[in-house]
Amino acid sequence: MGFIEENEKERNNFIRKWANYVRTHSDKDWSKQQNLIINSALKSANMTREQFFKMKGETNFVKKR
Amino acid sequence: MKFIDKSTIVIDRELSKLDKFTLDFVKILEKYANYVLVSGYVSILLGRARVSEDVDVIIQKIDFSTFQALYKDLKMNNYYCLNAEKDSTIFEYLSDNLAVRFTEKDKTIPNVELKWIRNKFDKLALEKTIDVIIPKGKLKISQLELQIAFKEEILKSPKDIDDANHIKLVAKEYLDDKLIQKYKEMLYGFY
Repeated sequence: MGFIEENEKERNNFIRKWANYVRTHSDKDWSKQQNLIINSALKSANMTREQFFKMKGETNFVKKR
Repeated sequence: MKFIDKSTIVIDRELSKLDKFTLDFVKILEKYANYVLVSGYVSILLGRARVSEDVDVIIQKIDFSTFQALYKDLKMNNYYCLNAEKDSTIFEYLSDNLAVRFTEKDKTIPNVELKWIRNKFDKLALEKTIDVIIPKGKLKISQLELQIAFKEEILKSPKDIDDANHIKLVAKEYLDDKLIQKYKEMLYGFY
């Protein structure tokens, strides 16, 4: 199995396991754990407007649709 | 997570910073326009274990004076537009079908990526919404079948496929598989 297939398999396994956790545990329980990921990522995210648009690949500060 | 009916989900979740940011923003937005939340935040709200730096929002087209009132309200509540400062410039971007971003003062992330309805799928998303009732408020998300079809048929990145798979797993008893297929057929070749 190549890297791409292996990666896809691992991702699918994680998605399946986590979705099952969400289904079988209380909202307060799973959301508390989910928030550890969300809140810590947002807390550490600190970039300028220019850096943000560069990261998003949005030239001239706008996004074409 | 309780799927009450086709248009109501109750989630007694602990609110994340992203949830609080979104709730605060839409409380202002909904005074001026119908809105619907789409894309990544929908799956995150339903429990997907990932973060997003932006929350995608589609709104109906509004006239300039309504936009001015919305923008004034946002600024009074410490939001700013990342794309431009002048109301006429931001309105012009929206009129040109460009997305504009709003966030809290002195921040860039998270932000709301706001766009006008521009085609029949945006219209469908805005018409067929689901109320997600969470502590401290209510958020309107797009119909899950449309979200899944869009992610699987149009977006197709690993992240989007994972988002779709998460929604399909957590809501499997409540999804209309035929409707997902119908939306996929409608989307095929459209974009």
